[in-house]
Amino acid sequence: MTLTDALARPRPRDAGHASPMSLWRLLWLELRRNAMPWMFPLLAALFVFDAFRSAMGYGPFWDLRASALENKLLPDFVAFVAGVAAWMGSRDSRRRTRDLVDATARPRWTAQLTTWAATTLWVAAGFLCCVAVLYGVTASQATWGGPPWWPVAVCLAELALMSALGFAVGTFFPSRFTAPLAAVGAFLLSLEGFRNAVGRSSAYALLSPTTYVPDDDTGLFHHYLPDVSIAQLMFLIGLTMVALAILGLRRAADAGPQLRRAAAVIAVAGLAAAGTAIGLIGTARTQAYGTVIPALHDAANDRPIPYTPVCSQAAGVPVCVHPAYRNFLPDVTAALAPVLREIASLPGAPARVDQVVVNDLIPSNGAAITGVPPVFRLPMPATPDETSFGQNAVSFTSYLQATLVTVFVVGAHGFVTLGPVGGTPAQQAVVLALLQKARTATQTGSGPGNGSHTKADQVAAAARRFAALPATTRHAWLAAHLATLRAGDITLAQLP
Amino acid sequence: MTAAGLQKPEPRAEASRPRGLLHHPGLRLVRLHLASRRIPGALAALALCALVLRAGLSWHWSLGNGNGAQQVPVLIEAGAASIIAVTAQSPFGDPERATGRWLPYLRLGTAVGLTAAAFAAMAAGATADHLPGGTLDILRNTAGMTGIGLLLAAVTGGALAWTGPMAYMIVAQIGLIGDWTSPWVWPARPPHDLGAGLCAGLVFAAGIVVATVRGARAVREI
Amino acid sequence: MNVEIAGLTRRFGRNQAVAGVDLEAGPGVFGLLGPNGAGKTSLLRMMATVLPPSSGKMRLLGREPGSYGPRREIRRRLGYLPQNLGYYPSFTVVEFVEYFALLKEMPAARVPAAVAAAIERADLGDKARAKLRTLSGGMLRRVGIAQAIVNDPELLLLDEPTAGLDPEQRVAFRALLRNLGERATVVVSTHLVEDVGAACTEVALMNAGKIVFRGTPEQLTAKGEGHGVGDAPLERGYSAVLTEARS
Repeated sequence: MTLTDALARPRPRDAGHASPMSLWRLLWLELRRNAMPWMFPLLAALFVFDAFRSAMGYGPFWDLRASALENKLLPDFVAFVAGVAAWMGSRDSRRRTRDLVDATARPRWTAQLTTWAATTLWVAAGFLCCVAVLYGVTASQATWGGPPWWPVAVCLAELALMSALGFAVGTFFPSRFTAPLAAVGAFLLSLEGFRNAVGRSSAYALLSPTTYVPDDDTGLFHHYLPDVSIAQLMFLIGLTMVALAILGLRRAADAGPQLRRAAAVIAVAGLAAAGTAIGLIGTARTQAYGTVIPALHDAANDRPIPYTPVCSQAAGVPVCVHPAYRNFLPDVTAALAPVLREIASLPGAPARVDQVVVNDLIPSNGAAITGVPPVFRLPMPATPDETSFGQNAVSFTSYLQATLVTVFVVGAHGFVTLGPVGGTPAQQAVVLALLQKARTATQTGSGPGNGSHTKADQVAAAARRFAALPATTRHAWLAAHLATLRAGDITLAQLP
Repeated sequence: MTAAGLQKPEPRAEASRPRGLLHHPGLRLVRLHLASRRIPGALAALALCALVLRAGLSWHWSLGNGNGAQQVPVLIEAGAASIIAVTAQSPFGDPERATGRWLPYLRLGTAVGLTAAAFAAMAAGATADHLPGGTLDILRNTAGMTGIGLLLAAVTGGALAWTGPMAYMIVAQIGLIGDWTSPWVWPARPPHDLGAGLCAGLVFAAGIVVATVRGARAVREI
Repeated sequence: MNVEIAGLTRRFGRNQAVAGVDLEAGPGVFGLLGPNGAGKTSLLRMMATVLPPSSGKMRLLGREPGSYGPRREIRRRLGYLPQNLGYYPSFTVVEFVEYFALLKEMPAARVPAAVAAAIERADLGDKARAKLRTLSGGMLRRVGIAQAIVNDPELLLLDEPTAGLDPEQRVAFRALLRNLGERATVVVSTHLVEDVGAACTEVALMNAGKIVFRGTPEQLTAKGEGHGVGDAPLERGYSAVLTEARS
């Protein structure tokens, strides 16, 4: 000790009072010395390996890519967020500073909230960096629309909740096993949320941010409906408030009447928010273009989003797609051209191809040939580059050709999945023949009404015969018999 | 020189040592070592894992069939491995290291014993329920991930070693969904896959060796 | 009087750690001596308001710590160094002292200067930016002292403050204590009688939860005249009082 400073020092009149600046200084200290940044290399590796790789295997559509945040990135994060938060919550017990901090004036709850806030801010920063990378790459690839922010907000709310739960658990149970158990618990919650959401076990499963992967064209033809996201935010933020308030109520004696009241109010408000969200979710109903919660629904979101389609020609037929699919237009025209040539001038042959929104509520997804002149309305639930869904150029082409031919020959009811399964045997044989002529790898698969391997062989044989006909003969036969064929009045034996 | 204790009490006759197997010095050393590593708490945590596994199997928490059904068991196995990894941390540091020859054997016994206990607990938890992959899967997955945790403990210290099995678990979950075939992602492989078993065994052996010889790194706090 | 204690007790299960202590102390350095398990640390923890008493009355700095508002005011004016000092290894010396300055609700504008002054007074100026995990035990103890004095406390409670300090540092620390004692109440719990003799104006000796001696170091020394146990006069006085108390 230096004696030079051992001079009589002026005694302060009072001990002074804390200012808001001191809270910021405290937060700054906590940010500098938080454990969360140590997890960043690991989280970055998981992001690249899991979420980013999966997202790049989706088509370049904003809402589709954003789903990787909730389904891939969020589960990767929650385990480490909860574990590290539990670690930080148990700090004073681990480091034996409990007496030291208890003997200070600042209420423990305030100091704990500062530690939690620092942890959560780091989590948010790391997560947003990943979002920035994902959205940045998507921005360079997408041809329409903009980044959706609701999924980001929901993910941040879930991360804040996991951080609060982990922190609370670490504070209450400061053991060396708390961090790993908190990590496992958080991941299990995430996994179960996903399972319930995918299984659609009940409306309440919608409260889970991890959910099924949306259609490619979500948010393109119709606005992304934020109803469920709003309810999720209410639920997650409400639970976060409850978790943090419990920390304050636990140290009630040390907190003073004002803080005690504040903790109680926060707890009640949090419960109310979460309860309201549960109630709202119970009223959710699935519509064609999203899930609607009546109390939260904005009718303006029901209006279709206006757009100017981009068009090209396939065998002389205009083919128009949504501008978000601009980059896939050559693939679409290349796939449809051989089929359009085969059916050109036949009754009901489309004079135009228009992309329509995928409608999950009807079996054909919305595929149909309607109107005068006939227009082929084509839904596209996948694109050729969606490796995450096992798609490639061949499967994409197969799907487009099969859709057109099936709808043309059998009608919308004949198309249930990616592959013709409906219609009479004669209809199936004609569909197969036309697809073979268009050089498509197709299935001879069975479907409703085709009960036996023998039947499939007969259909395949008839298809080969029909395909082997000269083009003009085949075309002439179709011109004469298409109506009867569509009505289901032609048998296999009657096919040439 | 302190003032305390200057007036020493009269020497007493040395108290006779309690006899019996339980008070054997060797067993007492083992018991104290286990207490220092919080093994009773670890066993309770492993029992909790077994209970969660039982609940997960009974209430069909897993997603679908096939590899999807393995997701929850793999998560629980990673949890068990994480618990074993954090027990590697010594509360004593240098004074313990500067002792005789028994410490490596104690570490070895603790790590192997806990792994066996984890396996037994989860096998018991899965009894009478269909466990995808069977008990061989539990043994392979738990042992392999324990090896990862013990290896990480030698680098980061025991307290943060749980991050290793958890990170590997996430990779394994991806592998399960993607039907990966690499033997280094052993949870995604069938239970009788020799390559996967060898890889898991190798990692476990490496972790055991490192834990035995070096133990967990002395606490390097964050 | 900054410290007014009457009939204070503290029980842990069946163990009566503090068995009715009466104490008054004003500005100055007050030494608390006693063997292990005498109740010194428990008494100090109660005075630090981190341990509630089982019974008895206590007023610190003219306030009763039983209710929140006065307790908070006491803690703003309190400095406490526990026997087992915990710390955050990744913090630097400056950060650690600043952290506690902020927890003591010092006005933000005063904190930087106060932290710097406390670190200098603890003779850690050249280690200000060092991480705590790199410091020796004695330096960590001085960090603990620095955080205890950063808010210029009116009541300073130090439990074994010189543990780990070398003789030169101990001499300087005693000078610091005397300086602090000019305007604050400093209570020092220690086993080292020479610390008490050199720095304290008054000393109490505890045994089995009770105060068995209260007076000046000279009076304690006088108790040891004719007593054979001890290498120094104060030690002989200490052992004499303890012997009398135990008999």
